[in-house]
Amino acid sequence: MTFTETISGLLPIAGPISDFIGGAVASLIIVSFLMSLVAVSGIWGKRKITAAFTDRIAVNRHGPFGLLIIVADAVRLLSKELIVPEGVDRPAWDLGPLVMASSALLGFAVIPMGTLFGLNLQVADPQAGLAYVFATASIASVGLVMAGYSSNNKYSMLGGLRAVAQNLAYEIPLVVTGVSVVLFAGSLQLSEIVAQQGQTLVSLGGVAIPSWYAFVNPFAFLLFMVANLAEVGRNPFDVPEAPTEIVAGWQTEYSSVYFVLCYLSEFIHIFLGGAIIATIFLGGPAGPFLPGFVWMVIKILAVYLFTQWARSAIPRVRIDQLIEIGWKGMLVLSFANLVLTAVIVGVIA
Amino acid sequence: MSLEDPTKPELDAGETTEGVDYDALESLLGEYAIGRESHVNAEAFVVRPDEVQAALELLRAEAGFDHCSCVTAQEYEDRYESIYHLRKYDDPTQEVGVVVPTSRDDPVSESANEVYRTADWHEREAYDLVGIEYDDHPDLRRILLPETWQGHPLSLDYDQEQPQVVEFSEHANPLKEDHSGDAESDTMFLNIGPHHPATHGVLHLKTTLDGEQIADVESDIGYLHRCEEQICQNGTYRHQIMPYPDRWDYISAGILNEWAYARAAEDMADIDVPEYAQVIRTMSAEMCRIASHMLALATFALDIYGDFTAIFMYAMKDREIMQNLLEDLTGQRLMFNYLRLGGVAWDLPEPREDFFEQTRDFLDELPEKLEEYHNMITSNEIFQLRCVNTGVLGPDVAKSYGATGPVARGSGVDYDIRRDDPYGYYDELDWDVVTEQGCDNYSRVLVRMREVEESAKIIDQCVDLLEEWPEEERTIQSNVPRTLKPEADTEIYRSVEGAKGELGIYMRADGTDKPARFKIRSPCFSNLQTLPEMSQGEYIPDLIASLGSLDIVLGEVDR
Amino acid sequence: MSSDNTNTTETTQEARMGEGVDSRFNSTLREAFGSSPFILTKFDKFMNWVRGSSMFMLQFGIACCSIEMMHTYGVKHDLDRFGAGVPRASPRQADVIIVPGTIVSKFAPRMKRVYDQMPEPKFVVGMGSCTISGGPFQEGYNVIKGAEEVIPVDIHVPGCPPRPEALVYGVAKLQERIANGESAPVTVAPYELEQFGDLDDDELVQHLADQIDEEELVMRYDWAESPSP
Repeated sequence: MTFTETISGLLPIAGPISDFIGGAVASLIIVSFLMSLVAVSGIWGKRKITAAFTDRIAVNRHGPFGLLIIVADAVRLLSKELIVPEGVDRPAWDLGPLVMASSALLGFAVIPMGTLFGLNLQVADPQAGLAYVFATASIASVGLVMAGYSSNNKYSMLGGLRAVAQNLAYEIPLVVTGVSVVLFAGSLQLSEIVAQQGQTLVSLGGVAIPSWYAFVNPFAFLLFMVANLAEVGRNPFDVPEAPTEIVAGWQTEYSSVYFVLCYLSEFIHIFLGGAIIATIFLGGPAGPFLPGFVWMVIKILAVYLFTQWARSAIPRVRIDQLIEIGWKGMLVLSFANLVLTAVIVGVIA
Repeated sequence: MSLEDPTKPELDAGETTEGVDYDALESLLGEYAIGRESHVNAEAFVVRPDEVQAALELLRAEAGFDHCSCVTAQEYEDRYESIYHLRKYDDPTQEVGVVVPTSRDDPVSESANEVYRTADWHEREAYDLVGIEYDDHPDLRRILLPETWQGHPLSLDYDQEQPQVVEFSEHANPLKEDHSGDAESDTMFLNIGPHHPATHGVLHLKTTLDGEQIADVESDIGYLHRCEEQICQNGTYRHQIMPYPDRWDYISAGILNEWAYARAAEDMADIDVPEYAQVIRTMSAEMCRIASHMLALATFALDIYGDFTAIFMYAMKDREIMQNLLEDLTGQRLMFNYLRLGGVAWDLPEPREDFFEQTRDFLDELPEKLEEYHNMITSNEIFQLRCVNTGVLGPDVAKSYGATGPVARGSGVDYDIRRDDPYGYYDELDWDVVTEQGCDNYSRVLVRMREVEESAKIIDQCVDLLEEWPEEERTIQSNVPRTLKPEADTEIYRSVEGAKGELGIYMRADGTDKPARFKIRSPCFSNLQTLPEMSQGEYIPDLIASLGSLDIVLGEVDR
Repeated sequence: MSSDNTNTTETTQEARMGEGVDSRFNSTLREAFGSSPFILTKFDKFMNWVRGSSMFMLQFGIACCSIEMMHTYGVKHDLDRFGAGVPRASPRQADVIIVPGTIVSKFAPRMKRVYDQMPEPKFVVGMGSCTISGGPFQEGYNVIKGAEEVIPVDIHVPGCPPRPEALVYGVAKLQERIANGESAPVTVAPYELEQFGDLDDDELVQHLADQIDEEELVMRYDWAESPSP
């Protein structure tokens, strides 16, 4: 039973209205949770993690461990003057950050976030769940283009174009690698993929190693992690922003609320990337002792930590090299992986 | 550090085993030389303003003077004068000056741009600040001051009180329609700077892009033109000039810069420096070089890796140690003002043992730290992908632009004033000049990292020497007259190896206690000129990387 | 930049002067209420704390002081402990501009433009003697005698260059002042950005002035009038 069904079941009425209300309430809860996750890890955690990588301390004057910086940062950013530069293409400029933020949030609708207090925190569980996630996540590219070209700023323009080129080049390997998992699981439904990973792969000295696809097919896992770095735009693939080359890329002209939206969408994208990786490679919410939901969050944050690590330590590739790696390397490898998987699955099954 | 390279098959015209034979040079120049002057550093020949190109070409092609080190312009009561300071990359002790006088009514002389590419910017500066015009110059505009500026500030009749107006629109508006040329053109104009995270200060690059590729790039400098030359001309030799060199190349290279002035002034006024002071100078100068190269590394990491990442912070941390040592020695973290004419300001800090110990600690830890940098930077494959074979600057191009320092050495030009024209205590110590043959961004970074090792070697030897120096012989300062008044019309051009390359000072005395003309030959100024050669046809990220690998300091470029 | 031409008579400097909370803290809420009722006072206090606690700095280097500024962000001094260590390259996303160095005639209009591109409320820290008076370069023909000739400065950190500790103190002091709702007193600058020169404001001039493009504005440097050594 999905989260939506649980909530609509509590309502005194039935039918489409109750489904709608149930869905809305369920989404609201998930979105609020994601927002607070972004607030904690995006504002405070990011500073602390970067500081840890660079031998610093970072915020420690605002409340315990500097946690109140979250309130200060959020309120301050929202209360800043919103500058609308001359000559921006108005509807597109306003919609860009919204499209980006919402596309990432939409993806979370089908992610099985695990159970907490007996509640299954998955808003919906459609048959084509994985296809839906990939589809919504890639809408973000449209937002990037809108933000880039409508800002009337050349740096934004360059950033937007780079973002599109990058997303095109890495979306395909990402999806193709995802498909190899589907071949194993035999289903696009995310809950089914998670359930498939519950089986025991081997038993080593009494400890059962689950058949997470990261263990079953580490090569696909690696490919997916790399493609995911490019999807979320972190080093070595942070060319759309490339602070020292094109100032702030597509978000150069955004201030105040819109900047918050850009910032938010970036982090939610990283989390969505983490959630997809956790779901299709790391057994979703599975894990010992702790509730599934907590395991899910831990896995998402682990992927987030990985992106921050990459950001601190790896140089950025050049845009032409990025495209080359994408089309000549990743694409070929991902198809090879797919064919190989198909052969193996076909032989075994 | 031999004067003659044994592999060199034959001597150039006018060259003897002893150095330059100026009489032979005079006969080589023939009727081009209409006079001869004696500068402290070299002889100079006077050349008619319309025969500059021919004379310089002769000196370059026949006599082997392939390095136009500096172009100084100045105004006398009765004439303008441009001086071309020439020397050889193979042996910088062989110098010659070419003096080109022009009349006050019609200050036009022939441009040397055809012979030495580096003369392009030098002559623009001469036009901007002094007001001499150059025939055949490809692009004679103001370079340091805004286009709208009235008057030439280093000319004799300049009125500093007059109001000036600077337009906003002078800076090309990035939002304007900009398809240069016809509407069909595919290029886009992009301002990089003067406020941009990658310009290392306030440099402005006017770039024309074809997609992501650089079709054309033009540096626009002068956003930090702080009138250093004027200020030095208003200061007395003895004390008032010394604080300013610290601020030319402000990346902790203070003592290296101070030495440039000290060397020129000491040679001009014939001041001796005690040996003990020379060792301290050598040691502290190399400390500055390490600090400066560390920052070069840090900012280069900024350009390649993005925002303030681990390498940047680590390099900052190591610089901090160096700055603490220098602070112990000089009393300041950045603007040391430590050298004095004829010595240094004070002896090493007491207790000396602590200072030596701290220095040794740093030197001991250095190899391990460098190993880590090599792990994180130079042996990273993505880094190599970005830097190898990008920003290529061939040795001949580097020479014609007068590039020096790590930029030249990264292109395989074996040129280091410390060895070739020794000063201080360098020729007594055991160290090597680092060169790399790659000519690309990677080589330049590698040269800096290896130079840090060499500097550490020098410091180590200096510490040994200082430790054992007998207490009664620790003279830090020789006798220097309270007021220095070098003889009128003494002219000197002297250079040292600064952190970025050959840092030269030209001074002319007029019998007072202040120089009549003070000209700074900045290595960054010449090095920056090579940027278009390196980045044309490459991508924006390569342009940024090349700029970072040039390691320019705008304070020194603009002065 | 969207510019409102009806308001051009108020200079940036005037906006910073006067009683009470200055206009950069302007909120439509306060305008609606008129005076300051209790709830808004509390709200103001909260907002002041917010603004004083968290700052994005503009990644802005000019001269010597920028080296010490980098060290202030660096490992040993770590300005981020005070919630003020996030450098943003785009002025649209910055709250504080630290002016680290000598300003010369060619750069002043550019700095003014960068400052104008920042969203309100914005604050300026003048770092080093050059931003106070031109410092050691004051007598240069090309040097602006202090940052305040171009933009209003909230805190001056003296020194040549100031030590990182001094800059940390300056930033902490700025945060304290903002948190207390104190408005920065701005010393009188001899000239602001001149808009239409010295002409009398008659109808014809007004007509011509309307046609002047904002980009065509000039910075006028009157060295004789500016504070002399």
